[in-house]
Amino acid sequence: MAWVLLIPLLPALTFAVMAPMSRRARTTWRWLPLAAMSVSLVLSLLAFARVWPGGSQTPTFHATTVLARLGGVPLSVGIQLDPVSVMMLLVVTIVGVCVQVYSLGYMHRDERQGWYFAVLALFSAAMLLLVLADDFLLLYMSWEVMGLCSYLLIGFWHEQEAPRLAAIKAFLTTRVGDVGFAIGLAVMWASARTFDFSVVLHGFPFGTAIATMIALGLLFGAMGKSAQVPLHVWLPDAMAGPTPASALIHAATMVAAGVYLVARSLPIFEQAAPWVLEAVLVIGILTALTGGVLALVQYDIKKILAYSTISQLGYMFIVLGAGAEGAALFHLMTHAFFKSLLFLGAGVIIHATHTQDIREMGGLRRAMPWTTATFLVGALALSGVYPFSGFWSKDDILTTLWTSGHLVAFWFALGVAALTAFYMTRLCVRVFGDNACSLAREGHNEMLAPMALLAAITAVVGFSSQTFAHFLLGETQAPLNLTIALTGTAFALGGIALGVWVYLFHGVDTDRLKVRVPYVYAALQHKLYFDLVYDRVFVGGFRSLSAWLAGFDRTVIDGAVNGAAQLWSATATTLWRGDVTLIDGAVNGVGALVRGAGARAREIETGRLQTYQRLALAVLLLLLVLSVVLLRGA
Amino acid sequence: MSALLTVIVFLPLAGVAITALIPRSRGGSAKWVAVTVMAVDLALVAWLVANFDRARAGVAQFVVNVPWVAQAGIRYHMGADGISLVMLVLSTLLGLIAVVASWKVTDRAPTYFAMLLLLQVGMNGVFLALDFVLFYVFWELVLVPMFFLIGMWGGTRREYASIKFFLYTLAGSVFMLVGIIALYLATGTFDITALAAKGAAGVLGIGFQNWVFLAFFLGFAVKVPIWPLHTWLPDAHVEAPTAASALLAGVLLKMGAYGFIRISLPILPAAARAWAPWIALLAAISIVYGAAVAFAQTDLKKLIAYSSVSHMGFVMLGIASLTTVGLNGAVAVMFSHGLVTGMLFLVVGIVYDRAHTREISELSGLSVAMPVTGGLLAFASFASLGLPALSGFVGEFLSLLGSWESRVVPHWITVVAAFGVLLAAAYMLWMVLRVVLGKPSEKVAALPDATLREVVMLTPLIALIVTVGVWWGSLLGYVDPAVRAVLAVFGRAA
Repeated sequence: MAWVLLIPLLPALTFAVMAPMSRRARTTWRWLPLAAMSVSLVLSLLAFARVWPGGSQTPTFHATTVLARLGGVPLSVGIQLDPVSVMMLLVVTIVGVCVQVYSLGYMHRDERQGWYFAVLALFSAAMLLLVLADDFLLLYMSWEVMGLCSYLLIGFWHEQEAPRLAAIKAFLTTRVGDVGFAIGLAVMWASARTFDFSVVLHGFPFGTAIATMIALGLLFGAMGKSAQVPLHVWLPDAMAGPTPASALIHAATMVAAGVYLVARSLPIFEQAAPWVLEAVLVIGILTALTGGVLALVQYDIKKILAYSTISQLGYMFIVLGAGAEGAALFHLMTHAFFKSLLFLGAGVIIHATHTQDIREMGGLRRAMPWTTATFLVGALALSGVYPFSGFWSKDDILTTLWTSGHLVAFWFALGVAALTAFYMTRLCVRVFGDNACSLAREGHNEMLAPMALLAAITAVVGFSSQTFAHFLLGETQAPLNLTIALTGTAFALGGIALGVWVYLFHGVDTDRLKVRVPYVYAALQHKLYFDLVYDRVFVGGFRSLSAWLAGFDRTVIDGAVNGAAQLWSATATTLWRGDVTLIDGAVNGVGALVRGAGARAREIETGRLQTYQRLALAVLLLLLVLSVVLLRGA
Repeated sequence: MSALLTVIVFLPLAGVAITALIPRSRGGSAKWVAVTVMAVDLALVAWLVANFDRARAGVAQFVVNVPWVAQAGIRYHMGADGISLVMLVLSTLLGLIAVVASWKVTDRAPTYFAMLLLLQVGMNGVFLALDFVLFYVFWELVLVPMFFLIGMWGGTRREYASIKFFLYTLAGSVFMLVGIIALYLATGTFDITALAAKGAAGVLGIGFQNWVFLAFFLGFAVKVPIWPLHTWLPDAHVEAPTAASALLAGVLLKMGAYGFIRISLPILPAAARAWAPWIALLAAISIVYGAAVAFAQTDLKKLIAYSSVSHMGFVMLGIASLTTVGLNGAVAVMFSHGLVTGMLFLVVGIVYDRAHTREISELSGLSVAMPVTGGLLAFASFASLGLPALSGFVGEFLSLLGSWESRVVPHWITVVAAFGVLLAAAYMLWMVLRVVLGKPSEKVAALPDATLREVVMLTPLIALIVTVGVWWGSLLGYVDPAVRAVLAVFGRAA
């Protein structure tokens, strides 16, 4: 089954082939990544067939190679195919192919589109390798390469300032998390001398203290990548990139890698002190709330979706905190499909209306029926309405929280569900409802087709809930708890109803509400001041420190060096003067020596090149004489 | 067989003799002599690598050991273990590339290329010498051509920079000479291998070791450079011509770190262990301080110079860990930093040749105006900030692993050092944002892109950066056995 390796390798080779090409050649070969991804998709399906019916934690396929030997100890990396990785493979390749097809339409006018497709291929390769990795080292390496691709795609239109700044912000913010990740790996290595899942995730006795340190490190990394509070600030800005790239990277796959990481390493979290998992839960709640609340006040369609992504990732963290990776991964999968669908829909809308501001949209349902229909499928799924996929995965999460006794988290999750339904209703009413006339035209077929596919998946994949749980973990899931399902539905419908009342029927004057609670609105407008504080404290602080240290380096440290040189020069000059005036001729030999030194030193001060050359030649001659003398001695 | 190392070291000296005979009117032929000599030298090194016994990489191979000054016990003793070998590859490869990068040099060309070749003798010799006097001669030999390269072909403040470079490093190496003599007086030998055996046997007392260690420390630390002995570096880098900058950062800095590995650790193990926490502290300071100061720079070369201070901190951290993992990491950073920083200086040279400025504020939008140059600069920047799958990651990661598991380095130092990885991304990407991205600035807009010669000369560096980054064993397969031999004296878990 070594062909499994081809799944990440084909897109990687595509990048390697396209990267050195000229701009024009890259444009000609822009379909190549799609071809590679399609083959990867077929291979992933084959892999799925091999792993089916799943339920077992032992990998169906496992291959390792020794990366290097350290002190004779082999450091190996490898890939493994188990139910979790095959599920992730399918998500990445399906969404990946959809985005590639869609991009052929979306990017077809861009001069540099070849580079865009090449980077998309590299990203897919890294993400596919990440989910296949059988060890934390390969996972970490793929993780970082994804970060590079994210940077390159966010900054794709770098002639404008916003994408440039957003790109560097995304890379640095996620790298803050990666510092923790790296330290976590160092702790793991010092204890286990290996990164292999088969060792460290299968009962390696780390002890509570060590396991806590490792888990915190991994959690830190996951928080950066999955945009968890307080490291979430990069994701909304990342929307400056091309929309299909946002769909793949910043909605469906890369941002979910943090969830995947924690889900994979849950055995270590369980060995750690109990408060670590509780911290995961609390971070999840905070993130879900922050994302949801901030999505409420955005007018940029992509930013609403971005905050929604943050919120949904928080949802996954909540249930991870309850120790249930199955529910988290199920939501990861359904979210990947419906959120990429929403982003692709947003892309069509932006293409058609030439704006991202929902206040300038309206009435698009008539001009763009296909986009409207598929977008609504995505929105209903995100809101958690039966029978769309989001309903099932959200229900899974609620049930898990309820049955495991995390009641506070349960109520928060319900609240966020209502909030989600509310802001999605706001979005949909503004964009599709109202009666503003629009000259917008429906998107191209190569853009609509992938959306239709994703909508179809979103409509049906939820029903696989039971099968999924069994396939992934071999767990038999309890049948649908009707009370919880109905409660969840009630909250979702409540949110929708409220949204319809407020935004369609103008039941509440939102402008007056903003005036009534100015502080709340200002806080939301300023994104809860996260960016402001980071900018002042960390960015500003580092800039000042850096400028101060540069001055310190010039004046104090280098000043000391120059001062020492001048001191020596002055001493030598004084000695020479004393020599000629007081004891001239008394000690000719010594005098000559000091005179030489003094003269030389003075000339150093005067800065004449010839002097330096003579000085250097003198040293060279001295060395030559030395070796000649020594040689003669021999 | 045993003549091979001698040929590799002294072949460039033959080139010096030939170029010295070239009349100034025919100066254009000097570069052909230099490139031929360096290509042959590199080919010989390639042959050496091919015939190197990796299983025995822990011991010196291709040894030549004959009396030189019999009365004083000075021997002509050279050999290559795994660490020497990878440093020799780096030195000869960058040496050849430096010659190609200097193709347009016409000002006193014969002397210029003679200096590059003379420099090569010293660089090759330092990494192979196993006798202290020989080592010292090569060590000092390096200073002279570099002094002239900076002083005669450098920028506007070349006089100050060259004299500072010369005197600063000379001051350091005077202490080293004291150390060498002290060791000789105590043991009666200049032979590094023999001294290492005595070091392992515990012949030398700890008090004596501490003083000698300090003497060597001053010599090596200036060269590395370790904070706060680093201020000669930015000046020398900025004023040096492109090829000299590349060699200075790529090879010369490694001599200091190599000295710690080859001399300080094996010969003075007790002192090394006692000093290790302090060296680790200075390393962490170098990492963070170098990165912070790099961030504030407005001159591209100065930024890269301070980034070198930061990266060399990772080398010293790995060495101070006294673990096999850390030391593997240190050598990997040495090798990678040579490739990456060499490449950075060469690309900046490409830009400077055309734009006649290195001011970051005057450069922008390279990727639009000069897509190839901009792409190369971005690639080198990502390699420099330690992106996995490129060589920079390997060493820095292993250095951190080693320093965490080390018994002599406190954990908090590792944590501080780990933030250096974040800071490296900050100053590098901030530079990329201003220089590579955006709309082309006035100075950049109409510039021609990199030529075929320039791209071809960088290709081997790119290939090695990717190869080492993806397949760690291609480098560490040579290094690990040698590292184990160096650390054998410290026991299994130092």
